[in-house]
Amino acid sequence: MFKKVLIANRGEIALRINRACRELGVKTVAIFSEPDRESLHVRHADEAFCVGPGPAARSYLSIPNIISTALITNCDAVHPGYGFLAENARFAQICADHGLTFIGPTPEVIGTMGDKATAKRVMREAKIETTPGTDILESVDKARRAAKDLGYPVLLKATAGGGGKGMRVVTGPDELERAFNNAQNEAESSFKDGRLYMEKLIVSPRHIEVQVLGDNFGNIVILGERDCSVQKPSHQKLIEEAPAANLAEKTRKSLYAMALRAAQAVHYTNAGTLEFLVSGDRAYFMEMNTRIQVEHPVTEMVYNIDLVKEQIRIAAGEALGYTQDDLRPRGHAIECRINAEDARNNFAPAAGTLTNVVFPGGPGIRVDTHIYSGGTVPPFYDSMLAKIVAFGETREAAIARMERALRETVIEGVNTTIQQCLEVLATDAFTSGHYAIDFLPGLLRQADAA
Amino acid sequence: MPGNNVVQRVRSLVVAFLDTDLVRLRIERDGGHVELRRRASSRPATADSPEPQAQAAAPENVDAIKSDLVGIFRFSRPLPVTGEMVDSDRELAYVEALGIRNPVRSMGAGRLVSVCCDDGQPVEYGQTLFEIQRV
Repeated sequence: MFKKVLIANRGEIALRINRACRELGVKTVAIFSEPDRESLHVRHADEAFCVGPGPAARSYLSIPNIISTALITNCDAVHPGYGFLAENARFAQICADHGLTFIGPTPEVIGTMGDKATAKRVMREAKIETTPGTDILESVDKARRAAKDLGYPVLLKATAGGGGKGMRVVTGPDELERAFNNAQNEAESSFKDGRLYMEKLIVSPRHIEVQVLGDNFGNIVILGERDCSVQKPSHQKLIEEAPAANLAEKTRKSLYAMALRAAQAVHYTNAGTLEFLVSGDRAYFMEMNTRIQVEHPVTEMVYNIDLVKEQIRIAAGEALGYTQDDLRPRGHAIECRINAEDARNNFAPAAGTLTNVVFPGGPGIRVDTHIYSGGTVPPFYDSMLAKIVAFGETREAAIARMERALRETVIEGVNTTIQQCLEVLATDAFTSGHYAIDFLPGLLRQADAA
Repeated sequence: MPGNNVVQRVRSLVVAFLDTDLVRLRIERDGGHVELRRRASSRPATADSPEPQAQAAAPENVDAIKSDLVGIFRFSRPLPVTGEMVDSDRELAYVEALGIRNPVRSMGAGRLVSVCCDDGQPVEYGQTLFEIQRV
């Protein structure tokens, strides 16, 4: 096992990784930017180093300062969390070059699967159905020709992307140039990689993803699926659940089989997620995230497994120690993302001081967060403040518990998505489990019209 | 009132300064000056900070020379000594990061009023390494 791990991230996921390390008896080193000096992930780590000013490009994306921190503190591994450098193959390679174990898949696999356009090509070669689309589009003109061939509506996506960043729906040729430039700029500033590709837009699909875990001995297991179809108009997820409601058993088995075939095709190691668009009984591979996901707690709760600890154990060279037959999901889990955003103003992010913070508790509730009363929300980063996760023996019980937990939650000082989550939970579409990715945008349009 | 006007202008300056990546901004006018500096050890000022003037003022004309990277601090030779006068481009130390020596310079002439790190000490971004009183 590792002696000391550098956590190359911030916020709740840095705290989550710190907790896993603590329970494994591994020391931790936190990195932080100047505005994050008082953040909880800094306080809870054994050591902490400031790596730059507020803008992520000069702090959480500063590879030289992060690697230097790991080396001068004698770390033997780096956990990248999600976002920032988590899917940067170059960073993973630089870690390896400096004798640091990158807690994730190999740089080669990140390069193949983390690059969304390349991943789709590899999947097609492995006979896995993908959404019709293109490779990298070097110019607006090429995008225009591709859109004409695919037929509008189309989706522009950042090849290094995730979290809905660098993604735009284009419904007609008039919107293409502006959407291309906006997506490219957003991808460049978020991932330092502005390359885009295009997909045919599948109308009203469900977003269902499959969790995989592979060790260095060729063992790969599937840890069920998550339904992440409650998405904001920007395609960022707001509510996730495991398992997916009303998913035909045949489709579920097909998704697991495709995920296993995909992971085996690239000899996948560590935690990863394959995202699919499901329309009727058809499932299309969309992309693979070669990292831990934001919504991993719902899987942890139904499988009673600590995915972050598993990541660390696998990276340290341990075998999984169980097979697919040993894994049995139980019950239902739902996660609500509590963001510092104004849901009534196109989810505009908010920053400021949190004057009062009270989180829920009680049976079946888990809260992953880094915020506290008196803390600040800097304007530089993702607006997520907390993840509230509710577990129940049934989906109905989980929904009731989540509603109770959201009503117990108090966050004052910034706008949050709590009320929006409550509104979603109260709809017939959500309670019946019949919803797709256009559900929340439709709900918002109805609210605006009213 | 003139006083309110000055406070308003400094406040505007702080807001504009925070919008940049600048570490230090000094404006001289009519024999007076205002200097804004980012301090790694404190939260950045915001438009509604209670004491923008206090953060903006640099006491006794002392500049903090800070590390702009993470690494191991080493003194250069000759060893800098507290109280000595340093010239405008003196290499006082270096921060070793990823095997590269990154020089730390005096950034202007003055009297070295404090040496804030020990040889061989790990230093972080924004950490004060030296303080120099400008003359």
